[in-house]
Amino acid sequence: MPEDPYSLIERWMKARSFLVIGKSVTRADAIEKILGRAKYVEDFLDGALFAKMVLSTEPHARILGIDDSAALRIKGVRRVITARDVPGINEVGYALPDQPLLADKKVRYIGDTVALVVADDFEAALRGAEEVDVKYEPLPHILDPLEAMERTDVLIHEENGSNIAFRTKVRKGDVEEGFSKADVVVENEYRTHRQDHIYLETEAALAVPGLDGRLTVITAAQHPHLAQKIVAKVLGVNWSDIKIIVPYLGGGFGGKDDEGPLVAAKAALAAYLTGKPVFLEYTREESILVHPKRESTIIKYKSGATNDGKLVAAEITIIHDTGAYANRGPFILWRATVHATGPYKVPNVKVDGYAVYTNKVPQGSYRGFGNPSAQFAAESQMDLLAEKLGMDPVEFRLKNLLRPGDDTATGQVLEDSVGIAEALEKLAKVADWKRKRETYGKDTGRFRRGIGVAVAWHGISTSRGVPDWSNAYLKVERDGSVTVHTGIVEIGQGSPNSSHRQIVAEVLGIPPEKVKVVYGTTDAPDTGATHASRGTTVGAIGPFIAAAKVRERLERLASELLHAPVEQIEFVNGIIKVRGTDKQITWEKLIDEAYKRGVEVSATGYFFLPKGKFDDEKGRGFAYPAYSFIAMIAEVEVDTWTGVTRVTRVWPALAAGKIINPQQVEGQIEGAVAQGMGYVLMEQFVFDERGRILNPNLTDYVIPTALDMPQVMKPVYVEDLFKYSPFGAKGVGEMALIPAPAAIANAVAHALGIRFTQLPLTPERILLTLRGEK
Amino acid sequence: MKVRFKLNGKWVEVDAKPNEILLDTLRLKLGARSVKRGCETAECGACTVLLDGKPVYSCTILTPMVEGREVITVDYLAETGEIQPLMEAFAEHGAVQCGFCTPGFILTAYAFLKQNPRPSEWEVRKAVEGNLCRCTGYQKIIEAILDAAERMRKSNGNK
Repeated sequence: MPEDPYSLIERWMKARSFLVIGKSVTRADAIEKILGRAKYVEDFLDGALFAKMVLSTEPHARILGIDDSAALRIKGVRRVITARDVPGINEVGYALPDQPLLADKKVRYIGDTVALVVADDFEAALRGAEEVDVKYEPLPHILDPLEAMERTDVLIHEENGSNIAFRTKVRKGDVEEGFSKADVVVENEYRTHRQDHIYLETEAALAVPGLDGRLTVITAAQHPHLAQKIVAKVLGVNWSDIKIIVPYLGGGFGGKDDEGPLVAAKAALAAYLTGKPVFLEYTREESILVHPKRESTIIKYKSGATNDGKLVAAEITIIHDTGAYANRGPFILWRATVHATGPYKVPNVKVDGYAVYTNKVPQGSYRGFGNPSAQFAAESQMDLLAEKLGMDPVEFRLKNLLRPGDDTATGQVLEDSVGIAEALEKLAKVADWKRKRETYGKDTGRFRRGIGVAVAWHGISTSRGVPDWSNAYLKVERDGSVTVHTGIVEIGQGSPNSSHRQIVAEVLGIPPEKVKVVYGTTDAPDTGATHASRGTTVGAIGPFIAAAKVRERLERLASELLHAPVEQIEFVNGIIKVRGTDKQITWEKLIDEAYKRGVEVSATGYFFLPKGKFDDEKGRGFAYPAYSFIAMIAEVEVDTWTGVTRVTRVWPALAAGKIINPQQVEGQIEGAVAQGMGYVLMEQFVFDERGRILNPNLTDYVIPTALDMPQVMKPVYVEDLFKYSPFGAKGVGEMALIPAPAAIANAVAHALGIRFTQLPLTPERILLTLRGEK
Repeated sequence: MKVRFKLNGKWVEVDAKPNEILLDTLRLKLGARSVKRGCETAECGACTVLLDGKPVYSCTILTPMVEGREVITVDYLAETGEIQPLMEAFAEHGAVQCGFCTPGFILTAYAFLKQNPRPSEWEVRKAVEGNLCRCTGYQKIIEAILDAAERMRKSNGNK
């Protein structure tokens, strides 16, 4: 079949020498960002009304009435919008239909949005929001997920009949039989906590009615087409009546995948009802109070191994505190459930997952998506089993790591692209693991050194059989420059501005400077979300296939023009040559000829990822088309006088297929290590007895500064190519965050000889534990 | 109230409320969009500007406080070419991801390198401690600033 995507992917997978792939090409947006010229949502603000949210002050209450008369008397206040004003559908839950955009009958957490005040300026909107009088009838609230699971007298969502929002399971073999063969068994309960993304740019949207015949929303979101869907749904209009533009984003890390469409819908609703452009931006405090956070979990984990170091069984119960709404909780829980064994061959597995409602800020998408907590539990267990067996932690892992041909906990056989064992072996050498593991952990003075290891895996694409595809549009302009349109957003990761550009430049044999990627727009075909480490691995297949199609057409044209067989034609940095001769033509000339001779130089690139089926009833089947893998070694020094842990060095090893741009990949690793280290050592929310976050600011919710960071060493790469991606690339963005909590916690355990099962490892927790007070 | 100050080499006069923050005046009235809004509580450093040559958080400076003083943003230093070495080093080292914190880092680094042209890595880390970045883990930013220092020394005849 001509232009068949499978054969195009295969053709380029065979390439062994590259023009720009695998090189640290400077990203396209570097200079404009350095000079502060790159535009983020607020930079488009020019003459709009301001909207301000009225947030719930109650954790759980019925709304008896909303009195807006005092607010409307304030000069400049134009309108107060409540659920009643929604012209379309007010329900916006992603996984379950349980979440209103504006609270209607009840509020379910302190931070739920009850109303919007729209005013001529920011001050009037602020004063108006303070004057909206919401009458509540307080209801009993629940903050503890274990309590919520048991109780039916208090229901956070009555229509659900239970506070358990969602259940998941995975089954393999027979765990009882497995444990009967075990020589050592370890059983523990692990607890992890919520984490905020702290993207430096808070949520914002500017909705402009009538621009370009549609309602246009410039918004901070991670999937423009999802924002389009939610806005259209809330307004009750066709999707085609809504245009979404996602400009540069000041970070997202998953948080803007959840909150992005909602901030867009709030601004769009106000613009639709007033007929004027409306701007809504969350303050830092609103951002922290309102938007969903990394899951907090309780993980009960029992695992066993034989004396020769083989895992025989794992029985795991995962409880996610999903907060007031399911949001993406069911998907997060599903990912945690499937990944809970770690990337190991375990013959007998039983995993049960529960997402439980409580009256707290919802759980949501955050880099790693349920997996850092699961790997923290799994990798703590691995160290404890190794200790019982008297085995080195690396050696014990190597005995059990998945290898090509092995089957996972869900029973899916991984034929290829499984490079984790090689990655860990190489990493242990690079980090001088054996010597340090034997030397450290024996300090007796004030400062104690430790070294820890963890591995992790992360499924590529959406889970189970959930459809996933890539789609993009590419055209070669008449001057030879290339424009690519994609829905993938530029969130800082660089997919559009580095990997997409390099992939298209490689396939067309032109310098990257000739390629312009227009990102984050609904005027591109739906490319899917910029989440789940899919921006390059899945997102870039669209531009890749479009470019590969155009390349084949141009090869035929060049063959005619240069009177040489197609196989002899090569494209090198904008020159098209006949191999072994001096016959050549420039790229610009070739494109000009294409326009003159009726050769189409525009194309869509579309690819639908082949997947299998997962049986939810049996808890078995196909989980993901492939996995990215990572191994990490962390070195720490714990101050036993202050309880402060310093991570001194971190060694990463990635088995994530082809590395398109090493410098950008290092950037993803270093940034993820920072977030992982912050999570495990510093970042922590304090909730009061009503579930209100007491530290919704950067003074009391502390994230790492330049002084806190360890040195992140050059990564080890094992390029275990994935057969359905551009050049075999797998996902990278989330990877280094996933093993970081476990690697650091394992290093602290090595330093102190004390195992912590609850995060974060704050100085307070470490000191109290050292003193035997906790 | 009327406030007159020097912004990027030119005197400007604005009508400001007594409680107006410099960040809002710069962004919303004077179009200086390179100054970013991150937290408005003097924690993140995205709104850094140079006030009489020293890096400050413009979210916690009231506009009337800058009467008669000099405010500089990254735009001006780009025009004068003074941040060329920093710009090149940040781009080449991959020190930019989402870019929201970047102008703030450039200003802090610029002021710091003027004071300390031969810094150690630790001194650079200490100097930018007040600027938060959530994307990069700081490593490439630190490498870029150290490299920029070297580039500046070279272009100054390695003084």
